[in-house]
Amino acid sequence: MSLKYMTPASKFKRYLPKDYVELVDYGPFGKDYSEVGVKNMGTFKELVEEHPMCSGCWMAYYIKIIFASLPNPEDTVTIGTAGCGRLAISQAAVPFIYGNYGDQNAIASGLTRAFRQRFPDRQKDVITIAGDGGMMDIGFSMTMHAWFRREKFTTIMLDNEVYGNTGGQESGMSVEGAVLKMSPKGKNFGKMPATQLAITAGCVYVVKMSPTNINKASKAIRRAIFAARKLGPTFIHAYTSCNIEYSIPTPDVFRDAKEKEKGRFAFEEYMTPEAKELFATIESKKKREVS
Amino acid sequence: MYYVAKVNSEMCSTYKCNMCTLYCPEANTLMYDKEPKHGNENGTSWVDEDRCKGCAICVYVCSDLLNRDCIEMAMVTPDEE
Repeated sequence: MSLKYMTPASKFKRYLPKDYVELVDYGPFGKDYSEVGVKNMGTFKELVEEHPMCSGCWMAYYIKIIFASLPNPEDTVTIGTAGCGRLAISQAAVPFIYGNYGDQNAIASGLTRAFRQRFPDRQKDVITIAGDGGMMDIGFSMTMHAWFRREKFTTIMLDNEVYGNTGGQESGMSVEGAVLKMSPKGKNFGKMPATQLAITAGCVYVVKMSPTNINKASKAIRRAIFAARKLGPTFIHAYTSCNIEYSIPTPDVFRDAKEKEKGRFAFEEYMTPEAKELFATIESKKKREVS
Repeated sequence: MYYVAKVNSEMCSTYKCNMCTLYCPEANTLMYDKEPKHGNENGTSWVDEDRCKGCAICVYVCSDLLNRDCIEMAMVTPDEE
């Protein structure tokens, strides 16, 4: 399908919302990644619009990277659930489905299968983006079963180590000893091993990271999407701090992300041999095209 | 009155750098103009003040990480029309 269906007639432009016209004129749709990728952020109209997330929110930053990294934004559907993340994800110019709390991966399973039936000739990407509560606590069974069934879509967990949206209760991903609401004496047990669970459940590409290097973050997201198209489920576990509940002054949010990268969010990447082969083909093809 | 980031474009255009635009958590807020400015070879970053939430991560990147001091936080009053 051509992108012409979203281009308005020139005389009609002045009656349309300004944001829509800007997206048509300066947005990333139909353009090459080298022109509009994360490296060129600030020179094109990004997909995410104004949203009510807090000042200096690192989760908002990571969501911005996700949308700037999409290989094919016009053929992508995002699925989210309750939590901070959906406040920004739902404001992007990419179709968004709001799942009941925790069932985002169940919806994504059905949607991926339906897309393959309905559009056998086109590649549609499905990405679920949810917080640590939606993915590992309340949506745990649906997340795990989607992986066991080898559903071909990408799962991205925005881990802020707390239930930020409801006022700072402890979550399964909070660290041991963290003093939060509902854990006044400090949390009794440690973080759930999300990436190990993903590997055991059959994900073909698993990454744990703190998004401090934008190119590395973008590369991981794109690899996860490419592997999910062909091979099976992929999972990204990203540290996106909650500067409100953990009382991080906003100018220090980036510094905190770098500190966590040295500790429990050190970069980890797992891929199956098939995924490795796939990335080698894709990335060598790209290099040839550039040179 | 609220805090927003202000870019000193004259200083900014002396460096070939767009690091602040890569680390702003708000989309479409800290933008980069590629056109050469102020007689220098480089373009400059600029801030959409209506969208800026005043987190000052750009100040951390420009001043603490790069030692360039091209961005500062300033109090602005919205136009009353």
